[in-house]
Amino acid sequence: MNFIYQLLNGIQIGSIYGLIALGYTMVYGIAKLINFAHGDILMIGAYTALSVLPLLNARGLPVWASGLVAMVVCGLAGVLIEKIAYRPLRNSPRIANLITAIGVSLLIENLVAKFIGTGAKPFPRVFEGEAVQVGDLKLSLPMLITVIVTLILTLLLQLFLRGSKWGTAMLATSEDYGAASMIGINVDHAISLTFAIGSALAALGAIFYLAVFPQINPTMGMMLGIKAFIAAVVGGIGNVPGAVVGGLILGIIEALSKAYVSTALSDAFVFAVLIIVLLVKPSGLFGKEMREKV
Amino acid sequence: MRTFTLPGNKKRDYAATFLLLFGGYLLILGLSTQGLLNRYYSGILIMIMINIILAASLNITVGILGQISLGHAGFMSVGAYSAGLFLKSGLMQGLPAYLCALLLGSLAALILGFLVGIPSLRLKGDYLAIITLAFGEIVRVFIEYFDFTGGAQGLSGIPTQKNMPLIYLICVISVLLMYSMMTSRHGRLILAIREDEIAAEASGVNLSRSKIFAFAYSAMFAGIAGAVYAQYMGLLSARQFGTTASIDILVMVVLGGMGSFTGSILSAIALTILPEFLRAIHEYRMILYSLALIIVMLYRPSGLLGREEFQISKILTWLFPERKKPQGKEEDTVAEVTVPAQSPLQDEEPGSLSSESAFSETASPVSDHAAVVSGKNSAAPLLKTQHLSIHFAGLHALQDFSLRLMEGELVGLIGPNGAGKTTVFNILTGQYRQSSGEYRFQDRVITHEKPDELVHMGIARTFQNIRLFKYLTVLQNVQVAMNDKMSYGKIQGVLRLPLFWKEEAEVEKSALELLKILDLDHVASHRAASLPYGEQRKLEIVRALATRPKVLLLDEPAAGMNPIETEDLMKTIRLIRDRFGLTVLLIEHDMKLVLGICERLLVLDHGQLIAEGAPLEVVRRPEVIEAYLGKEDDQDEAMAAPDFIRSKMLESK
Repeated sequence: MNFIYQLLNGIQIGSIYGLIALGYTMVYGIAKLINFAHGDILMIGAYTALSVLPLLNARGLPVWASGLVAMVVCGLAGVLIEKIAYRPLRNSPRIANLITAIGVSLLIENLVAKFIGTGAKPFPRVFEGEAVQVGDLKLSLPMLITVIVTLILTLLLQLFLRGSKWGTAMLATSEDYGAASMIGINVDHAISLTFAIGSALAALGAIFYLAVFPQINPTMGMMLGIKAFIAAVVGGIGNVPGAVVGGLILGIIEALSKAYVSTALSDAFVFAVLIIVLLVKPSGLFGKEMREKV
Repeated sequence: MRTFTLPGNKKRDYAATFLLLFGGYLLILGLSTQGLLNRYYSGILIMIMINIILAASLNITVGILGQISLGHAGFMSVGAYSAGLFLKSGLMQGLPAYLCALLLGSLAALILGFLVGIPSLRLKGDYLAIITLAFGEIVRVFIEYFDFTGGAQGLSGIPTQKNMPLIYLICVISVLLMYSMMTSRHGRLILAIREDEIAAEASGVNLSRSKIFAFAYSAMFAGIAGAVYAQYMGLLSARQFGTTASIDILVMVVLGGMGSFTGSILSAIALTILPEFLRAIHEYRMILYSLALIIVMLYRPSGLLGREEFQISKILTWLFPERKKPQGKEEDTVAEVTVPAQSPLQDEEPGSLSSESAFSETASPVSDHAAVVSGKNSAAPLLKTQHLSIHFAGLHALQDFSLRLMEGELVGLIGPNGAGKTTVFNILTGQYRQSSGEYRFQDRVITHEKPDELVHMGIARTFQNIRLFKYLTVLQNVQVAMNDKMSYGKIQGVLRLPLFWKEEAEVEKSALELLKILDLDHVASHRAASLPYGEQRKLEIVRALATRPKVLLLDEPAAGMNPIETEDLMKTIRLIRDRFGLTVLLIEHDMKLVLGICERLLVLDHGQLIAEGAPLEVVRRPEVIEAYLGKEDDQDEAMAAPDFIRSKMLESK
């Protein structure tokens, strides 16, 4: 019984990793960039949600509505960061992009630490409601919502990418900027849209995360970001369903190792997964092998 | 071989460097023994020296290898804790203990460097950044988890050692060891990888081995810095070595100039001193650092001091104009080179084709060669493919391609754009793996060999879109490909033992001789990127030749050349073929060149071989004309094609 609850915990946290990993994988797919600032965007999301809570309370809106505000704010923040910091470097060596991404991540983290404070701030309960009884199992509401919303959004995202005009434009851009722009796709818009979607999903991930660990601090995005990135690599970077599957795998491994091995060393298990994947199947579970054009 | 002596200017440089460093030593010795420095200032000085080791060592990974590491402080902590635990055990005392602690710290970091580098650097891409970020965190988790490391409380009571002159010596020796490794043949390969991985592989460089070595070497010196730090502080806690500390070091390297040791040193000094004296900087340090990272990347991506490898030479030249650092050596040697009586490679190829015609420089008629070649044709082909096919997600780039290259042949591979010609090269050089079919070289079946292994077997290539090591000199470009001619080991290289000098001098000499053949010796000391287009193409050929190939694959060698250059190139291709006993397969659109020198032509269209045979006969075949000009009604145009080609030919004669 305990095992099943641990498994469910893992699926819940894994869904959160998956949501955040979607942003990593989409941005990597289109810009070939590890967006180090992604973890900090979700931290911005958490602070945004916290700061709009009084306003929402005054109007009698539920706590989770703050997540919607956070999604909008983070979507805009993602677009802005791309425009200011990454776009000018689009044709530079990758290392320059990477260093800029690290710089942006540090800047956000330290600005928040300096002007809001490094202390952890509590976050109220996100989802009010009774646990759902299924047979012998008591399924918590946040868990159900997290998992179901993640699955639905992943499905929608996949449909959007495959079926819609904008989605195919994004896919085309991720293949080849030049060819995409030659057939009339606005590459800048496609990339902006990618950042917007990825960042909004990260904000949502942050709210779901707060439903489990209701504390906010400026460095909360770092570990969460690293793990989500690992999830994206495990699933095959650039692959949308892969990111979620990778997240679930990671979440389950983490929950089980926390429960049965050691809380302190659970992160080490997560990283071990990354190392093993890179050694055995570097392209991830669902990734395709990349060929560099000669 | 004659005994080797150091060139005069090099001796001067070494003397100057030594004097400078010795002066620094005396200064430090004086300051510390006379008690002129209080504890605060001597503390800053020691931190400067530790940071210099850290920045210089991270420069190897970031600047020279071109990969991002976010866990350098993690390696430092491994060195610090190893040294601290060893000293605390009290197994030894005094100076031997100090040195043992250093050795232990560096070894521990070196081993971990390999362990982290192996999974992350075998792959292309930016995995190292994220893995090192994770590594830094994991080291901290482990240190805080175990009791013997002092857990979260930290490790205290380490016997301290604040001997400043000793720390100065360690700092100087560390930096020298790093610099000399990066300027030996092993370091040159790492630079080549930074410039262009594919070209490095095609020049015979084993990518993963060089990358992993560079990273582990870099980690080792972080371990040394950690060991020094442990004995200076006497107290360690895992939190000091977190990501923030790694970022501090990264900022030093990025600001100083990626790839420049001197830049790293100067910015390590500046970034250690500034926060101490400007409180505002201290308070907003991380905000300023992160802004600096972004702004430097946006406006000066190579760092403030650029990528210059040895800026101190400039400072010295500026101070003492008559002195010259080793960087300037090429100019002197180039002048001494005379026309080689014998090619450097010919010794190895005693049975090669006659070289009389090589120096007569007269374009010998094609039939002559054909005769020589046909004599060999009875033997097994040197390179042979059967029913080779490759497809990329449904696109059949190459289908059922069979090729036999006889030793000494000069064969052309032509076809319209997108026909699959470069794909053939990519399979033959191991860049791509065929989906089906067999590929044999010298009767050995090629299955999984990587490009660098095929280079060692004797298959070299040039690239259609030039891939030179742009930032390296022309000479260095060739030297990278000649790495196999040298046998000195890493220790011999780093300590500049006689074998280093002997082999480096020999290789430099043969590289210059090779350059001379394509008339590039006068630009040997220029940056490859500074050459005009035609010369860049020629340098690609020299670099390929330098790997001592049996088969040379030339991908559009005449692209972008004017008619006179092309004419020259034709002579050169024939000349190197004869002189080195090469087998040449070339892709070219310039019909004059193709018909002028090829003895046999293969025509590809839509991934299929549509014609093969004697050049003049092949280009008249209707299917070939059709492939180039299209079928049907345009009969006039199609009929005109052979005449056009013929007239081109006549022009060239």
